[in-house]
Parts: sequence; structure tokens; C-alpha cells
Amino acid sequence: MNSTLPLLAIGFLLIVLVGYILRRPETESGSAAGSSDLLAAQAVPAVCLPPEQRQKELLDRIFGPEDWEFVLSRAPKEVQRLFLRERREIAFCWLSEIRSRAKAAMQFHIAHARRSEKIQALREARLLIDYFLIQAKCVFVAAVLLLRGPIALRKMFKQAGGLSDQLRSLLELASRVEPLANDPRGS
Amino acid sequence: MEQSPNLGPIAVEDALRDLQNRTLARLDGDLARLVYLASTRDYNTGRYAHDGLSFHYSESVAQEALATAHRGVFESLAVSPLRIVVANLEEYIRSGCAGPNELVTAWNASGAYRVLAPVSADSLTVKLFNSNIKVALAIVKAAWAEAQPVQDPQCASQPPSPAQ
Repeated sequence: MNSTLPLLAIGFLLIVLVGYILRRPETESGSAAGSSDLLAAQAVPAVCLPPEQRQKELLDRIFGPEDWEFVLSRAPKEVQRLFLRERREIAFCWLSEIRSRAKAAMQFHIAHARRSEKIQALREARLLIDYFLIQAKCVFVAAVLLLRGPIALRKMFKQAGGLSDQLRSLLELASRVEPLANDPRGS
Repeated sequence: MEQSPNLGPIAVEDALRDLQNRTLARLDGDLARLVYLASTRDYNTGRYAHDGLSFHYSESVAQEALATAHRGVFESLAVSPLRIVVANLEEYIRSGCAGPNELVTAWNASGAYRVLAPVSADSLTVKLFNSNIKVALAIVKAAWAEAQPVQDPQCASQPPSPAQ
């Protein structure tokens, strides 16, 4: 019993720390970037590649091993440290963006669902579960980053791709709301 | 020469091809192209301007072609492997705009590379691009510092290549 208490306390502290780190970029970017802005930002068309392909390439670049191997073989220790610091920061930004988008999608869905005549309990439950799964996965990835350092980034490519796919399906599900029959905005 | 009345996508495509063949193809590497395209943008208004293109097509077609080219080059470079970014930076330095030490110091001090991204680029891509340039500058600087004591003074403006 005596040994479990400090472990529980450390675990709690870690969760609080991870929560703080994930929230920080949101507050830095300010509250002006509200939910509607975040949803609108996704609608910006990609120039060269389809959005899925672009997102995949971006994640591959952030989490893939290629750049780290290049830095490891060609750059001195201080540049290696700079690279790891930079990539960790980007990984946290990406996690924060995923969380913000999921949150914005839920806010959008709730706002529209309130005006809807037909609420499907099953769909709402699925949406809620998906939302909490995304948030939990974000906390997990952030905790691994925090505990194991940015070296662990290399092994997280699948986790990262999975989170992006989950977010995409959540956004799709959240946007499916039947408006009121007499609601002029919904017709 | 009369200005083309056509403002549709075909005119933009023509202007883009013209820009590619006459101007961008003459520049060494994507970084040089990016620096050039970013410099055609007015930082106060965000509008692009190019006298030659505006003369042959129209201001709005030129603006659209430049914006499209800027987004394309930026996105391509932003998701490129770091070794490509380093190679592009070296090529840009070799093209002679400034000495390697001078450029690395100036870019590090002023963060000039932060204005190279187009306005429409998403924040994560911009962060990754800026971060890659920052690391590439550090790699080039380190390689340069390492090679400098034994370097032939006649080749002093040519940095050694860590990307090779």
C-alpha cells in the first residue's frame, strides 16, 4: 500500500503535466481561432496533392525515421539535440491541432444537434466514444513523447496515422445532423 | 501588346507555364524559387505582382499564377526530406546571393525564412518548414565551421556538403 501511493501520485502528476502541455498551444494561438475558424481551416484546398495524401506525407515527415537518420549520420551532437527538440515541439503542435479539431467538431455537432428534430442515440453514443478515444490517444501519445523523449517519435508513425483517420471519421460523423424542418439555415 | 481578355483557368495555366519556363526554370533549386516567389508578394496586402506576367496576361491572372506557384513550391519543399532541404540551402548559398557565413548568420538572426510561407499554408506545414530550415542552417553552419580551418581560401565561399 505504501509503495502504490507514490506511484499513483507520480501518475497523477504526469497526467496533469501532459494536459498542461497539450493545452498550451491552444491558449497561445488565442481564443479568436474559434470552432468555426478551425472547421473552415480544413476547407482550404490543397494545391498539389489530395488532402489525405498531403496529410500522410506530412505525418511521414514528422514521425518517419529518414530525417533523424540523416541528422544522426551527418550532424554534430548539438544539431541532433536541436532536431529532436524541434520535432518534439512539432509533434505536440500536431497533437494539439488534432484535439482542437475534434473539440471544434463536437461543438459544431452539439450546436446543430440542439436544433435537430431527430436525434439518433446510437450515432450520438458512437460520436461521444470516438471523441473520448481520440482525446485518450492524444494523451497517450503525448505521455510517450514526454516519458521516452522524441526518439520514440520514430515508432509512432502508425499511431499518428490512426489518429488522423479517427479524426476524419469523427468530423464526417459530426457533420451529419438533420436540421429542423422549419429551420431556414438547414434547408 | 494587347492584354488577354481571358481570365479563366486556361489563362492562369498559361501564365503559370510561362512563369515556370521563363523565370523559375532559371533559378537554382526550389529554395531559390521559393525566395523569388515570396519576394513577388506585397507583405502589406498579400497580393502578388509581376510586371512581365501582368503585361502579357492581366493583373488578376498574374496574381493567381504567382500564388499557385508559390503554394506549389512551398508545399513541395515543406514535406521534402531534410537532406533535400539541406541540399537546396547549399545550392542557394552557392548561387552567390551571400557568403555562407553571412547568410546563415543573417537568416538565424532575423528569421528571414519565416516570411517564405504563403498565407494559405496550414500552420503545421509552416511550422515543419521553418523547423527544417532552422535545422538545415545549423547543419550547414556546423559543416562549414568544421571544414573552414583546412579549406583552400580560394574556395572559401563554397561550403562543404553534408547532404552528399
